[in-house]
Amino acid sequence: MKTYDVLGYSFSAIKLRKLRAGLTTLGVIIGIMAIVALLSITQGLQATITDQLNQGLSANSLIVVAGGGGTNQNGGGFGGGGIGGGADSSGFSLYVNYTSEIESLSSNITGALAIIQRSGYVESENLNRSVTIYGVDYDAYSHAYGTFSAATGTIPTNPQDNVVVIGSRVSDPSQNGSQFIVPGNGVSLLWLNASVLPPVNETYTAQVSGVLEAIGGFGIGGPSDTGVYIPISKAESFFGTDQCDMIIVTLANSDKDTIANVTKLITDHFGGQVSVISADAVQALLTSVFSTIQLFLGGIAAISLLVAGIGIMNIMIVSLIERTREIGILKALGMKSRTVLAIFLGESVIIGLIGAIVGIIGGWGLANLTASVLGSGFFGGGGGGGSFAITPLLTPEVLLGALGFGVGVSVIFALYPAWRASKLKPVDALRYE
Amino acid sequence: MPTIVEAINIKKTYMLGKVPVEALRGVNLKVEAGDFISILGPSGSGKSTMLNLIGALDKPTSGTLFIDGVDISKLNDNHLSELRLKIGFVFQFFNLIPRLTAKANVELAMSIANMGKAERSKRAVELLETVGLKERINHKPAELSGGQQQRVAIARALANNPKFLLLDEPTGNVDSKTAHEVMALIHKLNRESGVSIIMVTHDQKLAHEATRTVQMFDGEIHSDLVN
Repeated sequence: MKTYDVLGYSFSAIKLRKLRAGLTTLGVIIGIMAIVALLSITQGLQATITDQLNQGLSANSLIVVAGGGGTNQNGGGFGGGGIGGGADSSGFSLYVNYTSEIESLSSNITGALAIIQRSGYVESENLNRSVTIYGVDYDAYSHAYGTFSAATGTIPTNPQDNVVVIGSRVSDPSQNGSQFIVPGNGVSLLWLNASVLPPVNETYTAQVSGVLEAIGGFGIGGPSDTGVYIPISKAESFFGTDQCDMIIVTLANSDKDTIANVTKLITDHFGGQVSVISADAVQALLTSVFSTIQLFLGGIAAISLLVAGIGIMNIMIVSLIERTREIGILKALGMKSRTVLAIFLGESVIIGLIGAIVGIIGGWGLANLTASVLGSGFFGGGGGGGSFAITPLLTPEVLLGALGFGVGVSVIFALYPAWRASKLKPVDALRYE
Repeated sequence: MPTIVEAINIKKTYMLGKVPVEALRGVNLKVEAGDFISILGPSGSGKSTMLNLIGALDKPTSGTLFIDGVDISKLNDNHLSELRLKIGFVFQFFNLIPRLTAKANVELAMSIANMGKAERSKRAVELLETVGLKERINHKPAELSGGQQQRVAIARALANNPKFLLLDEPTGNVDSKTAHEVMALIHKLNRESGVSIIMVTHDQKLAHEATRTVQMFDGEIHSDLVN
């Protein structure tokens, strides 16, 4: 029997019991939908986060923080004192003047700048909101990060102490063009100094010089839409410290060797009491975290497909029993056992294929729906963490994998009933009532 | 005339639970091309076993059975299937595929024999015309009378130009008028087209419509007479 005749016959058998076939297919659809939706959202999320990290963490810069949790090469860069920790548990701290020490370590280092950061508030006539206040060297910072550039106003090279540069969301919290703070405005900066008892509110009035371009996302070390940037010298006096939270080291290039060498030089220089984070290491860590998440979510979704597979097996055994006589007739007409096998497997291929295709389309739709719901409310407006839209990503691997898995599971679970059908003896099958 | 079926001392023993049942106890039979023979016998005489063996649906326990010159006891499952393509079955209960139209049922037999679409479509229409069902080709079995269904079954049996038609109580499930029509068709096929016919029945009157009647009793041939 020719292949198209086998498939045609399989299809006619499916068509006969539309509801039953529909429900069986629905099982596959749900399984594939779950897999595609979860994986495409996770992959989209990974792509978004990687992309946003790349904006905040340039490939040719390293971040040095206190705490010898490890080096960037093994992905342990977040260990120890962690990012933003002024000192690690051993009492080691980074100081603003370490930048010159670091700069002299290698010719591959083109610059080093210290960042002091504190949570605080910005107050103007129109607005009062919590922000992170960063003390940076404007000139060096704009060299390290291209995103530290003014949309309106200017970023002075040699700023007065009372100058402040603000992120786009500080000026325009809803990102709808209505700017509450514009260059030229005076604002009060405030932070709660808890290092003295009782804690006191430290405050001063600054003049807004520039508003940054919208950056989006979040960065480690890099400029943020919700950041308020004051000159480093002012930060030292305002925060009453010359300890810095991190030092950004810019490199002549982003070669892996350069990154590894400089990382080692810096780590050794500080006796292993610092962690050096590179974009590479963060990405490696992210990739590993997301692989685990994908495996976990994909696994859960795959279970639902296995359940669908058992459904297919169940329904095909029922169908086999109902069609015993038909199988007898086909065999009496000269059909070979392997053709009977092919007919039953053909039914499962059709169910798997339809289920997978509809499931992929449905999963893609579900992923987009979820992303738009998450993007509109959950991350987008809240928290002030910058815009955070997930674009689901359907890679060819996921697409083909889902198709193959859908059809594969259907066929595997149909193997036993199909084999039983093919092994029926024509004499017995014809006698079956 | 070439021999189409030759049974030499064939025996068939079934196990009914743990009890062996001898359905055939050494049957010798020769059928030649162009014959119209009936195998007559009461229930339990072994005629159904005979039908299964001649139809290559089953193999004898011992003895030799040649169908179209091939010893079926030497054939595997696959080759038995191929051999069945040369046998035109007509069952008592028609055994048409309910979801397929008359034409598709006839075509099915040809698609199993790997015939191309256009050719089998043309032949199915011709065969249904031969059995007088030109107007009903697109009807499903449920929309056809018993006699019409049996005629579709005959058309299907003829589809692959079989060596012989093997009829199992062909009129057992239709009224007497229809039975007469069906038998008339079978006679016509035998006389005019030279189709060999082997008919299994318990109906004495029907059996004597054949040119030769083989009477079976207790798994043996009791008589073999030309009518």
